Amino acid sequence: MTLLRMQGITKDYHLGKTIVRALRGLDLEISQGEIVAIMGPSGSGKSTLMHILGALDTPTDGTATIDGEDLQALKERQLVTLRGRKVGFVFQTFNLIQTLSAQRNVELPMIFQGLAPGERHRRASELLERVGLGDRVRHRPNELSGGERQRVAVARALANDPEIILADEPTGNLDTETGNAILSLLKDLSDNDGKTVILVTHDPEAAAIADRVVRLRDGCVASESGGGR
Amino acid sequence: MLLEFFRLAGQSILHRRLRSWLTVIGVFIGITAVVALISIGLGLEQTISDQVAGVFGVDNFVIMDESMFGSEAHGGSAEEYALDLDLLKSIEGVKVAAALRQHNGFIQAPPDENGVYPPAAIMPVVGLSPELMTEFTSFTGELEVMSGGRLFEPGDIDVAVLDYEISQRLGVDVGDTILIAGDEDSELNVTIIGIIAPPEEEESDSDESSGGFGMQFEAGSEGDTISVPYDTMELLWGPADDVLVTLVRTEPGYDVDDVADRAEKALKERGSDVAAITYSDISDMIGTVMSTVSAFLAGIAGISLLVGGVGVMNTMFTSVLERTKEIGVMKAVGAKNGHVWTIFLIESGLMGLVGGIVGTILGLGLSAVASFFIGRFFGVDMAVVASWVLILVTLVGSFALGAFAGLWPARRAAKLPVVDALRYE
Repeated sequence: MTLLRMQGITKDYHLGKTIVRALRGLDLEISQGEIVAIMGPSGSGKSTLMHILGALDTPTDGTATIDGEDLQALKERQLVTLRGRKVGFVFQTFNLIQTLSAQRNVELPMIFQGLAPGERHRRASELLERVGLGDRVRHRPNELSGGERQRVAVARALANDPEIILADEPTGNLDTETGNAILSLLKDLSDNDGKTVILVTHDPEAAAIADRVVRLRDGCVASESGGGR
Repeated sequence: MLLEFFRLAGQSILHRRLRSWLTVIGVFIGITAVVALISIGLGLEQTISDQVAGVFGVDNFVIMDESMFGSEAHGGSAEEYALDLDLLKSIEGVKVAAALRQHNGFIQAPPDENGVYPPAAIMPVVGLSPELMTEFTSFTGELEVMSGGRLFEPGDIDVAVLDYEISQRLGVDVGDTILIAGDEDSELNVTIIGIIAPPEEEESDSDESSGGFGMQFEAGSEGDTISVPYDTMELLWGPADDVLVTLVRTEPGYDVDDVADRAEKALKERGSDVAAITYSDISDMIGTVMSTVSAFLAGIAGISLLVGGVGVMNTMFTSVLERTKEIGVMKAVGAKNGHVWTIFLIESGLMGLVGGIVGTILGLGLSAVASFFIGRFFGVDMAVVASWVLILVTLVGSFALGAFAGLWPARRAAKLPVVDALRYE
């Protein structure tokens, strides 16, 4: 089943008076449960595509649907709701809130969805257990190693049980061994939970766990190939 | 969810401890000043009210010339007015009424041992209702006569009480007779029945019973008056048109203000331009004056609150700027604009509230210390007032001040586009 459908997507940015066209009529479909690696050189439009796939931004032109919902038809508030329920983000720089413990960081998306405190607490503990940080729940991000922080971020991405995990260079700030551990965690989410995992990456190791590798160039899909999965 | 937002905001404040405290200091200086000034004002008001209440009691009122308290009040010395004392006494609810009237009269002292009359002199003659000295001592103070004399009693007519000084001047003593000349050849020989004891040398820290704020009509203690019974004045100068003050006590169970209103109305119908002043009138006047002064001072202190508010705004802008990425993350994980807005508003409001709490405590402390010194200076017990309303308003107000100062920064935070915020380094 097709979960994400991008048809003729263009995206323009205004930089002062010049208009930069980041995506130029891009087509892409991603099915449920797939692991897709999106690769390409800097400036190829990877980040822009990720923003649209994650409902953080809407295309200038073309049709982008997530689970049947047309992004351009949605208002800002509805976009936020869609994003909150369907997409979990993992960032290169982890992007945890420094003032909050691991537990509270994982609870954060559930707070915005209005979950009851007990439910939230239980689920956050479960998720941290799942990513192997059951004994680190009270630690702040600056008391955790890079790999541990990224695990917290993965747990946070899973908080509202989204269908899509969107990982932007998840291994970019980690050493190979730790990076591989994160990748196998993401793979596990697809294998066991049926999550759709999208990796935006430079990392060939990441491509190795993917079903499909999509290469971008100049705002278009340049090539598609099978991944190492 | 709101509780959770309070937790998030609180954690953020605690994380930036130094800056938060500096901001809070900016707020609490203003709050301290406002709370202290208002509290001192309330304390002064209460102290004055207590003093006046001590003089008035709960069942007395005063009748004075209308110009003293009416719309054209000039607050100067007492004006004379006409009074029908019997009418006043007949009003329902009036228990005792006592008046004081004054007129200048020719006084002829008795001849000396050689039979030579001293020259006659014009002196103020004061007519006092006997009740003034028995029923209204809180107004008049205790008058003490020198040994061998007495004060007026009901039924006295041709008698007089002299101040010590004037008795010396006239060379008279208890038992002597003086002549008082009134209008149209009316004259009366009056027997001196008492001489008011001269005031003792006042010590520097005056006695506590008649403190600095006391409203006292010290009848006949000016040192140069001759006092006669009130009714005697009528024999000399006719019906009273020269009354300075009338004191009235009401019957128990009657509303003082109601009786005073009826008395004033009845007297006005008789052509007396008078105003009946009850304790609540005085207390209202004091309240109005004190509130105006307090509000003025608090307004000046409020300027420092404004500065504190700008401090909060500055801190919040800095906070929004340095947490741009964090705002992006919150939005990426499902925070709506309203959520971000609320969190930042609560954060700035909390800083205001903490400033309010510290400021209230310091302000009340400051007012207690100031009251102590003011009280010592004036030789009275200053009331220390900690008004719950003031405290509540201050705390709510300080949260509102903080939140208000945070409105603009919070709006900016809420409106940040998520993609730009995430990219921000």
